[in-house]
Amino acid sequence: MMKSFFGLLGVTAVIAGLQAETAIAQERFDGVTLRVGTFGGPWRDSQANIIAKKFEELGGTIEFVLGSPQANMARLIASQGTTPPIDMIEILDANLPVMIELDLLMPIDLSKVPNTQYLAPFQYDEMKVASWATQEGICYNPGAYAELGIDAPTRYQDLADPRLNARVIIPDINSGGGLANFAALAYAGGGDGENVAPAIEMIRGFGPVGFWMQGADLVTGMQTGDLLAGVSHAGWCIRAKNAGVDAAFVHPIINDDVVGVSKDGWLGIVKGTPNYDAAVWYVNEFIDSVFQSDFAAVSGVVPVNSISLGELANDPILASMMELDPAAIATQLRIDYSTVDIGTWSDAWNRGLTR
Amino acid sequence: MSGPRRPLDFGRWALLAWCAFSYVFLLSPLVIVLIGSLSGGEGDYAAVVFPPETLTLRWYGRIPSDQWQALGVSFVLGTVAALVAALIGIPAALGLVRSNIRGKFLMAAIFRAPLQIPAVVTGFAFLQLYYLILRGTGIELPGTFAGLLIGHVFIGIPFVVGAVTAVLQRFDTRLEEAALILGASRQRVMWRVTLPAILPGVYAGCLYAFMVSFADVPVSIFLTSSSTTTYPVALFFALENDFNPAILASASVVIIFSLAMLLVAQRLIGLDALLRSGGGGGRG
Repeated sequence: MMKSFFGLLGVTAVIAGLQAETAIAQERFDGVTLRVGTFGGPWRDSQANIIAKKFEELGGTIEFVLGSPQANMARLIASQGTTPPIDMIEILDANLPVMIELDLLMPIDLSKVPNTQYLAPFQYDEMKVASWATQEGICYNPGAYAELGIDAPTRYQDLADPRLNARVIIPDINSGGGLANFAALAYAGGGDGENVAPAIEMIRGFGPVGFWMQGADLVTGMQTGDLLAGVSHAGWCIRAKNAGVDAAFVHPIINDDVVGVSKDGWLGIVKGTPNYDAAVWYVNEFIDSVFQSDFAAVSGVVPVNSISLGELANDPILASMMELDPAAIATQLRIDYSTVDIGTWSDAWNRGLTR
Repeated sequence: MSGPRRPLDFGRWALLAWCAFSYVFLLSPLVIVLIGSLSGGEGDYAAVVFPPETLTLRWYGRIPSDQWQALGVSFVLGTVAALVAALIGIPAALGLVRSNIRGKFLMAAIFRAPLQIPAVVTGFAFLQLYYLILRGTGIELPGTFAGLLIGHVFIGIPFVVGAVTAVLQRFDTRLEEAALILGASRQRVMWRVTLPAILPGVYAGCLYAFMVSFADVPVSIFLTSSSTTTYPVALFFALENDFNPAILASASVVIIFSLAMLLVAQRLIGLDALLRSGGGGGRG
């Protein structure tokens, strides 16, 4: 009797489970046009090839609103009082505090984002879900270093070697990785988010040939042999390597406890969106391992999904340049932009560095 | 009939050198783009190197389809924007040169204003204006071709007004007086004397307006949508993520296309007439 009861219970549970799974599988978005605020170029293409196609199979359409997160934030600010032109938006860590302060985002129902189980706890909360990261550090030419008798760098300070004078390039503070690297230099030099003077001193000491606005400057400079090293994210160094450049990447030691620098990208759902369920679905798909692995390969960013991190470890070039251990990633330097005044950084940069 | 050739003195050599420098200065970026687009490299990756170590045409086959679509958008947009700018700019130039109304200088300044406002500010201002209109009237301009066109007409108008004004200021009004004395009506004088005389200025203004529209990023970046992305904006997006020879290949196609268009314009209109528009075009 007891046996048949548990048997019945088991069958019921299986049926209930199947029904729930079917309900999830049958969630459709017929007639829904989801507007996704994201970067253009291959960044958009990767999403179009995987997530948008899947969404179309569910009856909906994805419309990409292309632009930098800052430009898309400007669109949201301008559109206040009307239906927002974007449902789900990509956000940079430096813009996140402003977006929250301006009340442009709404909470994400994380119960509908099961792929968060593959993220570290610090990578999601009710207002945002991590989408990708770039790992900032030093890209250098190991062959040229060996010829000059210079040891492989381990810290930013190693770029101050006189033999590298005018052979090093640094990101401009207004470039994509500019803020993260500037702050990292400050921390590495003993400063912090409020005291960036050590960063200025360190950059002066490097005697850089210039400041890049596009990471392609670094790749081209290393290809021609004009540059022996530069500060950038690992993705640019991987591109250089794939283009045939003798390149290696170092995650710099910031202090006794911190190695490496991470700049994080986030996903948020725009307040007032009429397509909330679809936006949540998109967030979940964005951090799915299938998309994350493809996206990382195309864009040179580090995935946030732990399964994808494991998959990338099989690629010898990616594995040699990216930190793919979730535990090590969690301890990398991250800047809390809600506690710093970026304006004073720009002032310090403009006053302290002549171009 | 020609006299004996003078030996080249230092002054002539200096002038020739200066001319050569000017041509090199103007053409070298184009040459670098064209040759760089032939950079070799293996697999899907290559860094742009000048001069290329190996040559290949394969990047021309890898120009992303969205850039072709964007090129079409930019061409149509630039053409329509230039025509609309002409419709507004020609009467404006006539009014600014011919009328004696008060506040003419203020009006002239207003027509020049688009040149004095940073383009990125213009783009964001239009975006805000469009949402204001949307809230007030329900008319949807953000992200539409019409919205993009209005912004491009705005930045193109000063070039039409400037070019036509320059021609009008040198225009010999005695030609119009003669036509009037001979019995032509004012409308006939406008159509048969004035407009033909200022045409080189109109062509020049339209050409400048087209070029400004075709090359614009800061205004367009706020006003485009995925279906109205312009060519320079598409290139800008591509550059944010990568910089491989396919981007140079794409740019080379535009350079070649532009040169072909200039040749067609030369055949149909005569670029020498455009060049003269800053001079005595009105007397032509």
